[in-house]
Amino acid sequence: MEAFIQPGFWIFVLALAGIYGIFSLGLQIQYGVGGIMNFGHVGMMAVSGYTIAVLVIKYEWSFWWAALAGVILAAFLGALLGLTTLRLSGDYFAIASIAFAEIVRYWILNTDNVTGGTQGTLAIPSPNGFASYTDKPDVILTWISDRLYPIIGDEASRDLSMVLIVWPFFGLFIWLSSRLQKTSWARVLRATREDDDVPRSLGKNVFRFRLQTLIIGSVFGGLAGVFWSVQFALLAPEDFLRIVTFYGWMILILAGATRVKGLFVAAIFFGFLYGATRFLEFWPLSLLSSPERAYLRVFLIGLVIVLLMVKRPQGLFGKRQEMILE
Amino acid sequence: METTKTLNSSVLDVRNISVSFGGVKPVQDVSFTIKENSFTSVIGPNGAGKTSLFNLLSGMNKVSSGEIIFMGEAIHSIHAHKIAQKGLVRTFQGAKVIRRLTVAENLMMAVKGNPGDNLLGFFNPRARKSFEVKAREEAMRRLDQVGLTKFADEYAGILSGGQRKLLDLSRALMADPKMLLLDEPFAGVNPTLVEKLLTVLAALRKEQSITFLLIEHDLETVMNISDRVIVMADGKIIADGLPKSIYENDLVIDAYLGSRRKDS
Repeated sequence: MEAFIQPGFWIFVLALAGIYGIFSLGLQIQYGVGGIMNFGHVGMMAVSGYTIAVLVIKYEWSFWWAALAGVILAAFLGALLGLTTLRLSGDYFAIASIAFAEIVRYWILNTDNVTGGTQGTLAIPSPNGFASYTDKPDVILTWISDRLYPIIGDEASRDLSMVLIVWPFFGLFIWLSSRLQKTSWARVLRATREDDDVPRSLGKNVFRFRLQTLIIGSVFGGLAGVFWSVQFALLAPEDFLRIVTFYGWMILILAGATRVKGLFVAAIFFGFLYGATRFLEFWPLSLLSSPERAYLRVFLIGLVIVLLMVKRPQGLFGKRQEMILE
Repeated sequence: METTKTLNSSVLDVRNISVSFGGVKPVQDVSFTIKENSFTSVIGPNGAGKTSLFNLLSGMNKVSSGEIIFMGEAIHSIHAHKIAQKGLVRTFQGAKVIRRLTVAENLMMAVKGNPGDNLLGFFNPRARKSFEVKAREEAMRRLDQVGLTKFADEYAGILSGGQRKLLDLSRALMADPKMLLLDEPFAGVNPTLVEKLLTVLAALRKEQSITFLLIEHDLETVMNISDRVIVMADGKIIADGLPKSIYENDLVIDAYLGSRRKDS
C-alpha cells in the first residue's frame, strides 16, 4: 500500500486523469448533450496519435504540425463516420461506431510499412533510423522539470511536467465546452437527444446538429490522442482496444453525463482506479500476481458502471430528474 | 409572390398526392386547396389517413406521387426542417414535448433565426445573448397566454397531458408560422380547456392571420370554428364542404357508423 503515499504515484494518476478527462469530454458532448452513443471513440485517439508518430518519424514533420494534422484528421474521420452512419438510430449507430474503431485498429495493425504494425511506432521506418516522435515536446517537458528541480528535487519528473501541461488544457477545454453547452445550439441538441420530429418540425436540421456534435467530440478525442502520444512516447495497436472507449464512458457516467464540470473529479477517480489496482496488495488480492491484479481494473470499472446505472443514473453531479423524466 | 397572392389567395395547394408503404396506401390521390387565413378541419375515422396526410404536408414522409405547393413553391421533395422554415409548421398527435428541457426552453428553441443556433454564433456572445433575452420574453408572453407561466422553469416532463397540448401549440406559434397543421389538438383535453383552446385559435387567426388546417375526430368540436371540413376515409377524401353540409352527408355518416340499413 505504500505506493499510495508516493507523490510519483499521484502525479501519474493526475497525468492519466487529465488525458482521459479530455478524452471523455468528447463523449460528454456527444452523449450527455446530443444523446449520440459513440462506442468507437478510441478510434479518434488512435488516429491522431498515429498520425503524429507517422508524420514525424516517417515524413520528418515537425511535431506541432503533425499534432495539428492528427486532430484535423480525427475531426475529418468524425465527419466521415457521421456522414456514413449517423442516420442510423441510437443503438445501430453505437454498433457501427464500434466497427469504425476496429477498422482503424486493424488498419494500423496491418499496414506495417507505415504504422509499424504489431510492433508499434518503434517499427515505423524512419529516414534517419530514429523512431522517436516526442523530441519537440520533450524539450518543453525537460525545460519545465529543470525549472522545478531546484525547488522539489527528484519529484520533478516528466510525469509532473505532463500534469502541468495537460491540466491547464483540460481546464480550458472544460470551460469552452461548458460555454458551448449554454448556447441555444446546445438547447436544440438536447432536444434531438429525445426526439427527432419536434426539432425538425420547428425548422432545425437535426442531422446537421448531430454531425457537428460528432465532429466536436472527435476533436476532443484527437486532442486526447496528442497528449496520450506524448505521455507514453510509444504507440502500439493494443493501446487502442475497445476497452479504452469504455474507460471514457466510465468517467462520463461517474461524472453524470449532462454535467461537464463533474469530469474533473471523475477523471481523477478513474486515474486512481487505473493506476492503483496493481498496487492493491492486501489479502485476498495478494493471492494474485501483479499483472493479474492490473486486470482487476477492468472488473472494477465494469462494476462501477453497473452500480452507477442502477443506483445513481445521474452520476455524482447530474440532476436525477434530467435522467429519469418520461 | 405578391402577385400570386392577389390572383388567388391559396396558401396550400395539394395536387393528387399519394403515398404507399409496401402494399399499404394511407393516402390516395388527395387534392385540395387551402385559402389564406381560412380554418379547415380534416375529420375521419381511425386509419382514414389524416395523420399520414400531415406527415406528407410537413415533409416527414415523402409523397409517392403528386405535388404540394406552399405559397407558390413546390415543397413535396424538400426536407421537413426547410418546410418548417418556410412557415408551414405542425404539431403532433398526443403533443410531443421535450421532457428534459424546461417549459420555457421548449418554447425558446422554436424561435427562428437564432444566431446562437449556429456554431459560428458561439463567437458572437453579444448577439446570442440579446436574442436569448428577446426569445425568453416572447416565450413568457406565450406561456401567459395559455396559463403555463408558473411552470416556465420546470422540466416539461412534469406537465399533464392537457398542459403538454398547450405547450405544443405555443411552441409551434413561436416558430412564426404562416400556416399551422394541428394534429388532434383537442383529443384527451377536458371540455373547458377545449373551449379555451378554440378561443386562442380564433384570436390567432384574427390577429396574426394564420391559416389553420386541423385534424379532429369529432365533428361537433370543430363545427363552429371551421369554415370548411374535409372528410377522409380509407386514404381518400369522401366529402369536402361547409361544416353544415358535411353533417348531412350520407357518405360521411356511412364512414363513421357503417352503412345505414336501406329499409330504415
